[in-house]
Amino acid sequence: MNHTNIIGIYEDEDVLLKAMDEIQASDIKIKDVYSPIPLHGVFERLNLTTRLPYATFIYGVIGTISVFAFLYWTSVISYPLKFGGKPLNTLSFIIIMFVLTIFVGTLFTFLTYFIREKMYPGKQVTLPVPETTNDQFAILIEKTPDMTDTESNKINEVLKKTGAIEIKESEVNQE
Amino acid sequence: MYNTRIRGILIHGNKSYADVSHDIIKPINDKTPLWWWVTAFLATGALFWGVWGFYNTITVGIGEWGLNNNVAWGWAIINFVWWIGIGHAGTAFSIFLLILRQKWRTSINRAAEAMTIFAVMAAGLFPLIHMGRIWDGFFIFPYWNTRGPLWDNFNSPLFWDVVAISTYFMASFAFWYIGMIPDFATIRERTASKIKKKIYGAMSFGWLGNARGWLRFETAALLLGGMAAPLVVSVHSIVSMDFAVSIVPGWHTTIFPPYFVIGAIFSGFGMVLTLMIVMRKMYKFKDYVTDGHLDAIARILTFISLIMGTAYMIELFTAWYSGSEYELFTFMKNRVTGPYQFAYWTMLTCNAIIPQLFWFKKIRKNITIVFIMSIFINIGMWFERYVIVVTSLSRDFLPASWATYEPTITEIAVYAGTMGLFILGVLMFFRFVPTIAISEVKSVLKETTTLKSFTDESH
Repeated sequence: MNHTNIIGIYEDEDVLLKAMDEIQASDIKIKDVYSPIPLHGVFERLNLTTRLPYATFIYGVIGTISVFAFLYWTSVISYPLKFGGKPLNTLSFIIIMFVLTIFVGTLFTFLTYFIREKMYPGKQVTLPVPETTNDQFAILIEKTPDMTDTESNKINEVLKKTGAIEIKESEVNQE
Repeated sequence: MYNTRIRGILIHGNKSYADVSHDIIKPINDKTPLWWWVTAFLATGALFWGVWGFYNTITVGIGEWGLNNNVAWGWAIINFVWWIGIGHAGTAFSIFLLILRQKWRTSINRAAEAMTIFAVMAAGLFPLIHMGRIWDGFFIFPYWNTRGPLWDNFNSPLFWDVVAISTYFMASFAFWYIGMIPDFATIRERTASKIKKKIYGAMSFGWLGNARGWLRFETAALLLGGMAAPLVVSVHSIVSMDFAVSIVPGWHTTIFPPYFVIGAIFSGFGMVLTLMIVMRKMYKFKDYVTDGHLDAIARILTFISLIMGTAYMIELFTAWYSGSEYELFTFMKNRVTGPYQFAYWTMLTCNAIIPQLFWFKKIRKNITIVFIMSIFINIGMWFERYVIVVTSLSRDFLPASWATYEPTITEIAVYAGTMGLFILGVLMFFRFVPTIAISEVKSVLKETTTLKSFTDESH
């Protein structure tokens, strides 16, 4: 989808966070924030949450159950074979279940992360401000087609007032 | 919160974010230095010698090694445990220090994790080659076969070992790689070379660095780290059970799992110290890996060394207190004294006594001495495994079957080969990957340093 973004570029994370407060106070919706480091203040202000931990938990549970099922099936049902007089369904399964639960949890969390982020090897992207991977922070505000000039001027003003070193508009083509 | 007045400044040189990116990426863009080529040449030589040892073992058989009926486990298992131990530091470093919220880990964790990957790769070769018939290696996996199907013995610690180490390798790699993605993106956006842009672009998986991306990134890293933390403890516990579940005197003790885990972290931290001193010297990273960082590692080593010393004493005490003649013989007549006493005392000196010098601030501040001591720790930990494996096996219950063990040239070659593999891997890492986690250093930079001021007054 093609659309235009108004981008305010900042050079300091504390200035950025204060700016976000002011922008939100003047009823402007922040679309996204690009930064070289993770900022918890940004997550809070944009009300972002992730369900990744729940997914990991579910993978872990599935892992534990399926590993136990496999061990039980092989050792008790498919080919019951006594080792050292121990019961067929032994406690040492716990060790394998423990380790493989971590295996399943890790592998699938890793994959889920890339799938949810739509990331894959070789994906080509154009960053709105390439310097956000270095030392700049960018606030993106979407400029909708029905937005009047007064509204977009107001956005520009607020960005400038809050300490943006540069304000630009850009056509971004992603997602 | 990090208080610079109490803890000191973490990153020196009054760096800005741009300085951090520039400094850390610099070695990747610079010309390959001469020392790199020289070391790589030597490491490749060692690797080729190892390949010869490997070839010799596979074509002739395990008889090429100095093993006999009694000492059926020699250098292969010693080196396996040694490498796995070294491989423990990376994850231990990143994850335990992450959980303890230690900010100084950010300059070191990337290199420590890289070391883990290559050390585990080196370790994994030994069980493989020790099978003799390497082409039957897949027997270890429970696969559908025509013999029943007959499954593995899931009660065997050797099977647990396979499961644990492959899991550990996968988990460490996932954790390491996910951490590097934002840094690859930084290189992608900064490099002038088209080829580099393509390669690092591909490796950065299309990283954007937007708010949601960072949130998921942080959550994923924390989850992977949280899951790998118990793995660090379990992997080496399982390795220790390769020994501890047997009835061989000297192995059959309950102290083994914690003793091995601590030993692994000890040797791993020792190797981290060795590598960090080399890295900061060669790449002039003294502002990032400061004397304070090395001091912190040295302090941890002092503490772990005390635990090691305690473990050695406990072993001797338990041998006496158990009243078992075999235990007492193994410890008193075959380790403390006897034909292998040199190995025992080297182990004790290097692991429990020499690191105690770190109590003195003067010694912790002298990087040359610290470097030499870190090498001693690596040697000491190798001898610990030698003492455990060889002394217990060489003289067991029946004096009629006592035998001595000496490695052959083939075993030495294989060991040298894994050393070459490890060094070559680390060199590749130095050359092509940002050796310090750029985004992580930036994220702790402001609160741990006085940053060049970017206040809004200037605009």
